[in-house]
Amino acid sequence: MKRVLIVDDAATVRLYHREILEAAHFAVEEAMNGIEGLEKALQSPFDLYLVDINMPKLDGYGFLRELRGQDLPQAPAIMISTEAESNDEQRAYVAGANLYLVKPVKPDRLLTQVRLLLGDTHP
Amino acid sequence: MNPLLEQFLSEARDGLQDIGEKLMQLENAPADAGLMNELFRLVHTLKGNSGLFDFPEMTRVLHAGEDLMDAVRNGQAAYSRKLADRLLDAMDFIGMLCDEIEADGVTGAAHASVSVHLVKGLRQLMARDEVAGIAERHLAAGITDDTSAIPAAETAASLAASLAADLPLATIPEPARLEAYRRASAGEPLHWLLYTPSEQCFYQGDDPFFLARQTPELLWGGIEARTPWPPLADLDAYCCVLDIHLLSAAPRILLEEQYRYVADQMTLTPVSRFALVLPQGDANGGPVYDDFVSDARNLLAAGDLAGLARNAGTMLELSSPDLWIASALRWLRLVLETEPENRVVLDALVDSLSSLNAPDWTAVLAGWVEPRATHPADPPPGHDHRPLTAAPIESIHEDRPRVDESQVSGDDGVRSVLPILTTAEAEALAAILASQREILALTDTPTWLPGRLKAAAAVLSACLRVSGATDARPALERATATALAENTGAALLAWLDGQFSSSTSSDTRAKEEASTAPVAIAADPPQPWPQPEAESEVKFGRRAEDAIAGPKSLKVDQAKIDRLMNLIGEMVVAKNALPYLAGRAETVFGVRELSRDIKGHHAVINRIAEEMQDAIMQVRMMPVSFVFQRFPRLVRDISRKLGKEVNLVLEGEDTEADKNIIEALGDPLMHIVRNSLDHGIESPEIRRAAGKPAAGTLLLRAAQESDRVVIQIRDDGKGIDPETIKRKAYAKGLIDEATLERISDQEAVNLVFAAGFSTAEQVSDLSGRGVGMDVVRTAVEKVNGTVALTSERGRGTHLSLSVPLSMAVTNVMIVVSDGQLFGVPMDSVVETVRVPRAAIRTIKRSLATVLRGRIVPLKSINALLGLAAPPRSNADDELAVLVVRLGDESVGLLVDDFRETLDIILKPMTGVLSGIPAYAGSALMGDGSVLMVLNVREIL
Amino acid sequence: MAIEYKKNLAVFHDVVSVEEAEALLEWLQTKRTAKVDLTDCVHLHPANLQVLMAAKPAIQAWPTDAGLSAWLESALVAR
Repeated sequence: MKRVLIVDDAATVRLYHREILEAAHFAVEEAMNGIEGLEKALQSPFDLYLVDINMPKLDGYGFLRELRGQDLPQAPAIMISTEAESNDEQRAYVAGANLYLVKPVKPDRLLTQVRLLLGDTHP
Repeated sequence: MNPLLEQFLSEARDGLQDIGEKLMQLENAPADAGLMNELFRLVHTLKGNSGLFDFPEMTRVLHAGEDLMDAVRNGQAAYSRKLADRLLDAMDFIGMLCDEIEADGVTGAAHASVSVHLVKGLRQLMARDEVAGIAERHLAAGITDDTSAIPAAETAASLAASLAADLPLATIPEPARLEAYRRASAGEPLHWLLYTPSEQCFYQGDDPFFLARQTPELLWGGIEARTPWPPLADLDAYCCVLDIHLLSAAPRILLEEQYRYVADQMTLTPVSRFALVLPQGDANGGPVYDDFVSDARNLLAAGDLAGLARNAGTMLELSSPDLWIASALRWLRLVLETEPENRVVLDALVDSLSSLNAPDWTAVLAGWVEPRATHPADPPPGHDHRPLTAAPIESIHEDRPRVDESQVSGDDGVRSVLPILTTAEAEALAAILASQREILALTDTPTWLPGRLKAAAAVLSACLRVSGATDARPALERATATALAENTGAALLAWLDGQFSSSTSSDTRAKEEASTAPVAIAADPPQPWPQPEAESEVKFGRRAEDAIAGPKSLKVDQAKIDRLMNLIGEMVVAKNALPYLAGRAETVFGVRELSRDIKGHHAVINRIAEEMQDAIMQVRMMPVSFVFQRFPRLVRDISRKLGKEVNLVLEGEDTEADKNIIEALGDPLMHIVRNSLDHGIESPEIRRAAGKPAAGTLLLRAAQESDRVVIQIRDDGKGIDPETIKRKAYAKGLIDEATLERISDQEAVNLVFAAGFSTAEQVSDLSGRGVGMDVVRTAVEKVNGTVALTSERGRGTHLSLSVPLSMAVTNVMIVVSDGQLFGVPMDSVVETVRVPRAAIRTIKRSLATVLRGRIVPLKSINALLGLAAPPRSNADDELAVLVVRLGDESVGLLVDDFRETLDIILKPMTGVLSGIPAYAGSALMGDGSVLMVLNVREIL
Repeated sequence: MAIEYKKNLAVFHDVVSVEEAEALLEWLQTKRTAKVDLTDCVHLHPANLQVLMAAKPAIQAWPTDAGLSAWLESALVAR
């Protein structure tokens, strides 16, 4: 089972993404901010990261920079933003994101992207 | 409710609470960038969450709030009190929507106009250029905040509506109706508004009349009593029984805005201007009109409107203005002036002059179409903007890659199914590749560049896999190694261009076209999805352990806790049966050993039950902050309304008490705080004149003192004048002249707690009619609490509420009288004494005795309860006296005997018994009998 | 005081607030032939208005504020 870490401070958004991913048989874990996300990733790296931008303590950019700076197997990361931040796509890539999606991401679209990033078109 | 929505509501509520608190904090530290960021983040999160659902009004308002806070934190807009006000209003609105969603699962469409109003208010606060930028974005997103109201079309339908509503339009004086008609014919909408304020509205500080007078585009307004007036002696001036109705030429949206806080008390009916054409007056007398009517018809037929107007003017001069005909002529003249082209209406008016009946507009206008361009009536603004809905999760699997049956060869061949990309997948793949291209083309060299390159390489490897080109993997690995060695993405970018530039766009498209001829995996063995399974399983095992540290708190339904509470109550009662059983074992069956064993087990069970009880109490404990948290906002709103400056200081918010106690404190505290703001703390000018700081201080402090929670409310306002209180109390007949003379200042101040104490000085629109303090006392006493008040004139007032930590278990003393057992709460018991009959005196037909130099009045409990038996003495002719406290005084209750004290679960009296105030409740005893617990205060 | 009581006449000044209503009611309860002068009144809380509507004292003078006067006439002039 592929493991996905959702890093988002909004519990509702975490639950939304978790439901989508779990229905497609991913093992999902959650982190409420960048620091917590980093701690979880360091404990055991994930196959994919779903990262919010605006979070307390350590935001999405900071999280990605730290993650990419670690000596870990580097897994794909999707940065999920809202339209208010839509000019920040490049900033996301600089920090280490591999894909930039705008909220709310429709379930089927999210799953397609996640599967492709994991090299997997089948459930 | 689905869990996602539930989660959303719960998070939204927390978020709203936090936003409120942060705004309060910002008031004191308006330049705090950290707070500002935090506030932005909270609004931002809330908006992001709401976007997952289809709540357009909510998202719209939150969006505006987010933009505003973004502008503020970036210095493009200034933080101000006005901003805080509007944001708080907006958050109140969101909270209301949450309530609605919780109740109905949806938000009513009726909120569109309120949301638009709120959005407008928020956007106004942003700097000009910022607004322009955002407006552009919104235009692109299909959001319109257009509030420019479009006048309602005047059609036969709206006429029918206003006629059907049976509005008392005839009560509007003619000049007002003429004016209304004039403006409606110029395109303004007309609305009849009925405002029925709630009976309690005066206590909430409302002035419905003022609100009505401020109605935009008011043409006429009237006030009526809802019911016939009672005799003056029975009139309650503060129970609002007025209906307000009015006619306005404002668009619906503005009226809804004006009355948005009382929207449930207001109804709007569109009014056709024709419904106002009601000639009134004396139908008899005046000149003969037949000639006029026939002339008028001829003039109309000839199109000589000026002539008709002239004739009408002449007729008016000849007629007494009070005549019906004069009134009809005035209408005719108005229509001639405002819409001379409207022949249908003019004809109808002339006809009515001959029939002396008001025109029947429904018939006249049937099938008639308004000549002016018609507009759709009040379109709901911005309704085309629908955020993406959270689709049901079940539907996710629809977009599966199609599996070509012909490629599945036998049972073991399933895994050799080749990857085929659906259209959606091909598009997504192209997007992913484009992103990686952008990433690799970045020329910066941050410390984390190797990680970034590795991640991009991992994505590219995945892309190879899905496009079935795994034979290219070695080349990718080489390019990755080179890129890492050179610390630049160039090598990978070159590989990417070589591998995909020709293929991505053209190749995948080719694949789509020939989807029946999938690309085969050429080199690699057809393995299932390449990750080695064993490794991932090992990892997973370890992770499962990591994940054990679950959430540290649980949300539990209150009903479950209540059930536990009831069960432990029964347990305590059941346990109390054991000593009784032990007694029987010994006395009835004569097995002393068994009796001892039972007693031993009782001790064990007793200990466990007590601990269990304690544990359950702990679960029910809530911090005082639950009631305190509403005060910052309340104090802020009220003090500003009163034009006062108040610093609210909260202390000891973490102090805990039983949920019921905490909840019972809400109303009394609210009342006290309002009183302080209203009557205690003076206006800044008066304070300065008295040499005090302009801003008053209101302190709310909670602390635990042994088994009670003490809440203090202290203000540095003007205090209470004992002289005024004394005079009022005397005037109200609460004290007699003698008392007036000798009463101490402290005693006088305490008179505010007396029922029926109400002074005109205490009346205000905020705290009502001074009904406050006796209500406060009653509410606090209901949970076995006490209130104490001290006040120093000119220096302030200090109230102290003391309540028990928990009200679930009551410690009672059992007494016997006339062969019955009664419980008396230990709270009120001072001591138990045995008094020789000789030491009891009769003073003025009342019994009394002297205890430690003080005279204690004695009452026989039998007499108080209506039992005929006299008190019984013991062998030494002593009477048992239970001394109880009653306020500051002690009273001795004559009983037959004392028994043990006992912890009981007090059940309030129910049914017909609930009306008997002499008993506080009942409790089940160990032997199954029922113990009645006395309400000492009531029987004395 | 926003209401000035003179023998049988109550004179309203400026804004008559909610606090006045109780006293006004008490005063009207004792006066059978009360009269009210509203000339200088610019607003009155509806609690006071209710009292006037129920007690029906003679209105000696209407407010000079035309808007207020129109409202009050609707409430206080018997139809």
